[in-house]
Amino acid sequence: MRILLAEDDAMLGDGLRAGLRQQGFLVDWVRDGVAAEREIGTGDYQAAVLDLGLPQKDGMDVLQALRGKKIATPVLILTARDTVPDRIRGLDMGADDYVLKPVDLYELGARLRSLVRRAHGQIQDLLTCGAVQMNLSARQVMFENQPVALSTREFDLLHALMLAVGRVLSREQLEQQLYSWGHEVESNAVEVHIHHLRKKLKPELIQTVRGIGYTLLQSSDAA
Amino acid sequence: MPLLPPLKSLQARLLALLLLLVTLVWLGAAGFIWVDASDELDELLDGHLAQSAALLIVQQAGHGGESSSEASEREPVEDAPSLHKYAPRVAFQVFHEGRLTMRSANADATPMSERAKGFATVTLKDQTQWRVFGAQGNEGDVQVFVGEQITSRNAILWAVLKGVVMPLLYALPLLAVVGWLAVRNGLAPLRHLSQMLAQRQPQVLEPVELPDLPSEIEPVVQALNALFERIQAMVDAERRFTADAAHELRTPIAAIRTQAQVALGAGTDDAQRQHALRYTLAGCDRATHLVEQLLTLSRLESSSASAPTGLVDVCSVAQRVAADLALPALGRAQVLELDAPARALILADDLLTSVLVRNLLDNALRYSPDGARVHLAVTTDGKQVALKVEDSGPGLAEAEMARLGERFYRVLGTEKTGSGLGWSIVRRIAAAYQARISVARSKRLGGLCVTVCWTAQPAKS
Repeated sequence: MRILLAEDDAMLGDGLRAGLRQQGFLVDWVRDGVAAEREIGTGDYQAAVLDLGLPQKDGMDVLQALRGKKIATPVLILTARDTVPDRIRGLDMGADDYVLKPVDLYELGARLRSLVRRAHGQIQDLLTCGAVQMNLSARQVMFENQPVALSTREFDLLHALMLAVGRVLSREQLEQQLYSWGHEVESNAVEVHIHHLRKKLKPELIQTVRGIGYTLLQSSDAA
Repeated sequence: MPLLPPLKSLQARLLALLLLLVTLVWLGAAGFIWVDASDELDELLDGHLAQSAALLIVQQAGHGGESSSEASEREPVEDAPSLHKYAPRVAFQVFHEGRLTMRSANADATPMSERAKGFATVTLKDQTQWRVFGAQGNEGDVQVFVGEQITSRNAILWAVLKGVVMPLLYALPLLAVVGWLAVRNGLAPLRHLSQMLAQRQPQVLEPVELPDLPSEIEPVVQALNALFERIQAMVDAERRFTADAAHELRTPIAAIRTQAQVALGAGTDDAQRQHALRYTLAGCDRATHLVEQLLTLSRLESSSASAPTGLVDVCSVAQRVAADLALPALGRAQVLELDAPARALILADDLLTSVLVRNLLDNALRYSPDGARVHLAVTTDGKQVALKVEDSGPGLAEAEMARLGERFYRVLGTEKTGSGLGWSIVRRIAAAYQARISVARSKRLGGLCVTVCWTAQPAKS
């Protein structure tokens, strides 16, 4: 899951990024409000962690601008502003969650997963698509009730496809989900990961739509 | 109010004053009436006496000599009627050629007065006081005395006075009641004000508004509203401080917690664990610094702590602080220069002065990049002592300079971890010792230039 972190405090930002990465998130970190608005606006992120006291543009203004532009990316506000009016304002302004500093890293991870899940209309932490079952918090995949060992990238790729079941995802969209900043994207990386996934699961599960991208078939279609 | 015993209630005071004044006016009026009436009465009654005497003389002259021969018997004249209640208080004697020919029943045989002509006030044998008028006939053979008891005059005077005084005596309680009501009515706006204030919640600080405010109370209400406004500003500042303090305290703690958790979750990644643990320690230092700054500020705000304790040499303070901060500056390849050659004495507190210098120098080093130059200079011209901190850092915009000193104000976008309290502390200490602070762009180094000026103290010989 690719997450944008907007936090101006160097020490806290560094810790949050490292902690979320440990939990398998792909984290990009910006330190001011203008950058946060720009990055969340690209739509490449499954969710965003937004501090309110950001330089250049306050977090609340960033949120308002995003929601004004109909950008629906789930936003979790992480702040030290603890008064009830602040919380109400944050949630009413379009935040999906309001968390006070300091926060437990694992709780933050769970809240982010929950936001992403709800954004895709799921009700629990278990994604199911035909014979494929995915446990997000444990990062485990079962195929026909047998555990399948997947690499981080393979897991993320399968996750993206499962979230977009019934839709076709382009190679670029998938790349966005796989790599945070500072990582070189190899030209055929997606193809390689798709190839491995097909081998570990069932070849016809992931369909190639020529010239457009890939899609995950529901089991009835695959059968 | 010296006129009256100290009365707590304004209403009682006004009422007492009113009644006292009415009574005084009334007593004055009574005194005036007494004097005036007694003069008039004397004149009138003396006139009557004189007239009566004249009548008696005429009558005696009309009787002629034959009756006087018969008048050897010294009996009171029978035909002097005693019909009026004043009659016993009026007396007369008629002498013809030295012999008493006629007298009233209450008169003696001896002349009442030694003065044969005119008025006299005499005391008779029975100790009663009489006003006596003596008159003589034209030939000098008839001597008449007409007298009137003085007490009767006083009785008339009292009767007159009673007519004036008594109604007022009855009116006084009535006046008190009416006055009390009037004063109460007049003080109603004050009572409304006090009720309104009594019912106020302590957190309500809106201005007081009363309809039909009397001009006497208006200044009070205005002063009150001005006070409310100041308190509101203070409460707002405190509220902002609490909100800012919450933010400033939570962020370092959140960073420490997060980094500690990263270290715990690092698993086999030793480099990551080392990194996270180093950050955890740095976070602790930062929180410690913040707490120390907060404590310093709160000590400064309890004012007694900042009284001057003696003469302080700014040069030696600058040397001490520069020595303390030189090592961390070296670690960042920063050049710290000190130019403090002479002694420069001011009246202040040694510890607080070093806190001030440390905060300024620490700011200059903290917010300047690695390898920057920081110049600290102390100069004195005998009248003033000036401490100047200059750096080659990025400096500040005008608007940012103006906001320095607001608690927890930090220039956003800096990567540095200040407490946001340093300038509050600096301004506070400077104010305690009447020092002036100016902030400008450094001509020498291009960054920020902060100058603090104290009044110089002569060195003791």
